[in-house]
Amino acid sequence: MRAYIAGRLATAVLVILGVSVVSFFLTFLTGDPAEIMLPPGATAVQIEKFRAEWGFADPLPVQYWRFLKRAVHGDFGVSLRHGQSSLPLIVARLPATLQLTVTAMLLAIVLAVPLGVLAATRRGGPIDLLAMSVALVGQSVPNFWLAIMMILLFAVSWGLLPTSGRGGVAHVVMPAAAIAINLMALLTRLVRSTMIEMLSEDYVRTARAKGLRELFVTSRHALPNALIPLVTVVGLQFGYILGGAVVIETIFTWPGVGLFTIQAILNRDYPVVQAAVFILATAVVLINLAVDLLYVWLDPRIRVT
Amino acid sequence: MDPQALTRRDALRLLGLTTAATALRPGLSAAAATGEVKIGLAAEPNTFDPHLTVGRNSQIFIANVYDGLTARDGQGNLVPGLAESWKRLNATTWQFTLRKGVKFHNGDDFNAESVKFTLDRATNPETKATISSELSTIAATEIVNPFTVNVTTKTPDFLLPVRLGELFGLMLSSKHTAAMGKEAIATKPNGTGPFKLVAWTKNEKLLLEANENYWRGAPQVKTLVVRPILEDAARIAALQTGEVDLIAPVPHVRIAELQRNDKLAIKTIAAPRIFHVTIDVRKPPFDNVKVRQALNHAVDVNAIIKTLYFGHGTRLATVVDKGALGYDPSVQPYAYDPNRAKALLAEAGFPNGFETEFDSFTGSIADHSKPAEAIVGYLQKVGIKAKLNVFEFSAFGPRRVQNTTSPLFIYSIGDAYLEPSWVIRWLTQGGLGMHYKNARLDEMLTKIEATDDSKKRAPQYSAVQKLIKDEAPFIFLYQADAAFGMSARVDYTPRPDETQWLYPLRLKG
Repeated sequence: MRAYIAGRLATAVLVILGVSVVSFFLTFLTGDPAEIMLPPGATAVQIEKFRAEWGFADPLPVQYWRFLKRAVHGDFGVSLRHGQSSLPLIVARLPATLQLTVTAMLLAIVLAVPLGVLAATRRGGPIDLLAMSVALVGQSVPNFWLAIMMILLFAVSWGLLPTSGRGGVAHVVMPAAAIAINLMALLTRLVRSTMIEMLSEDYVRTARAKGLRELFVTSRHALPNALIPLVTVVGLQFGYILGGAVVIETIFTWPGVGLFTIQAILNRDYPVVQAAVFILATAVVLINLAVDLLYVWLDPRIRVT
Repeated sequence: MDPQALTRRDALRLLGLTTAATALRPGLSAAAATGEVKIGLAAEPNTFDPHLTVGRNSQIFIANVYDGLTARDGQGNLVPGLAESWKRLNATTWQFTLRKGVKFHNGDDFNAESVKFTLDRATNPETKATISSELSTIAATEIVNPFTVNVTTKTPDFLLPVRLGELFGLMLSSKHTAAMGKEAIATKPNGTGPFKLVAWTKNEKLLLEANENYWRGAPQVKTLVVRPILEDAARIAALQTGEVDLIAPVPHVRIAELQRNDKLAIKTIAAPRIFHVTIDVRKPPFDNVKVRQALNHAVDVNAIIKTLYFGHGTRLATVVDKGALGYDPSVQPYAYDPNRAKALLAEAGFPNGFETEFDSFTGSIADHSKPAEAIVGYLQKVGIKAKLNVFEFSAFGPRRVQNTTSPLFIYSIGDAYLEPSWVIRWLTQGGLGMHYKNARLDEMLTKIEATDDSKKRAPQYSAVQKLIKDEAPFIFLYQADAAFGMSARVDYTPRPDETQWLYPLRLKG
């Protein structure tokens, strides 16, 4: 088991390194920050001087090597825009993003599991139809559109929730819901289909034959087994949720990593982009590892020896 | 009787109003600041260190905490700031006489030493000042006495007093800066300005409080809560729900709808951003002035303003904006006349038009790609087939630096100084894809730049505008309006230089 984890961690390091290389060269392929940072009246000579001073005139591999040497010490450089060390800037925004994404994930699970189970146990009925319609809409509606519609309805028309920003519990409702809806749709479908599968298994028939009540059969026998794939999917979806958070944080001006990163990308603030990519990639890799380990623990059939 | 004439009663009314206004004035400035106003802006400053600001969004805001040596009034005229007066002693020396009795927020005195420290810091390469290009003419700052400084420039710089205004001449306290260090100034500024920064949570909010001892008199509003709200729809929603009282900007597409809401007021002002298409005059057929004039006749700029900006823009005859010194409205824009354009093309030897390329870009502070599409469409109608290349803004920059732009490219320049000479010099610099040169224009500008008195400078710009219009080194376009939205609680009049100067902001009633 230990060797397995060590191996996975070693792979994780390679993955993060690969992601950093790709993101480094991709951001540089689309230009450098000189013109964005200088006032509009800067002349060609002044722009060149600025690029030389900040090291943007050096060949890309040289710049990447310089970046890598510092990065292994956890130093991603000083943000061009904020004048502060970039890693702490990102870390300081993690709690806001975690609050948003974890709320969204819980919201999705709490809604999807009962809906999926009900749909599976009452297959073909009105609840099933409703659940599948919700799933269809949830997966096909773009979340930025949904977010803006929610602002118009819940904040402007009905005055129930604040329009944007971070503050109390009320502030998290709309952005979390906007992120959750897509995942919820996916999970509802998943729970429904695995439940249908489980309910036709032999052990369920045996349980029913023993005379157990249907509710007991569903909740104690079928559901726990149906939830195993849910764990994997939720884990794998975490990366998508972070991606969704970038859009949703921007719409709601939610002060998290996503908003900060998108601004850094637009401003070509490389140190911040690199720090953000590192943090986000690490988070995704670690969560996937945790999910795999959890899976092993949950399902003895795939335990590695 | 002429209905316009002033009647005796009108005269009496006017007299009464003037007397009342005079009587009220000292009362207003002596009153203490009260109340709170919440503001939603599309962006927040990147820093409060005036030498490391990035982007106009930072520069137009941090002046609320600092003062420059010079300032602008509500009409955009240059007025005294921390300097009471200034004069050019010789071609390369400006003398500033400083205001006495001004204190920084922490109680430090403002004096000649503050000016020397600030300008030395801004021009010191170790500061890596992002705004250094705007102050690059400064050679040295010399203290004459505690309230007089001489600033010498490497070459004659008639614009120095303007440069040392609210965009690039914000004054720092030497003691505070030395004590706090570079990183701390970014978030804990100590200026002489109308507001003090009390707290700042990046991406969340800025809390500013009135400086009761402000030398112009305390501002009328005690507390400002500024929230960055990036998304247009969310920012407008925040105004509609009363979460904030003032927002900027309001996108043009939403202005009409919000104007119908009687709980809100929308105020627009022509922003000093000059949209234009640069023509590479070195490359045939654009070396022929008739071709360049044909391009100007071919594009229906008014239709572009009407459809893309919903009418919230100003057609410009040249590259001189409406708010700039010496703007001459008698210089009329090229009329939209495709037949005239075709005739000019035929005269130039291109009766069937020609093929060329046109660059535009996305992702900058303003939308350039949609107007570019419209322009390319209009050119097509007179037989000029322009292939449109669209770049990401930061990828377009290197093309300009390397002078590899297409013969035509759209761009816009913010006339930060409201001074045509500065804009025209930049547009004719011989780099960044801009290659128009004209000895007579150069001579005219040199003469203007030797004139320190702006009142004498202004009329000289008429001839410049006529010449540029006739020479047509650009397709002249427009400037768009900046729109501010506000609730019935507040009153705010935007300034023509784009600055979000909140000192005159007041609560109604």
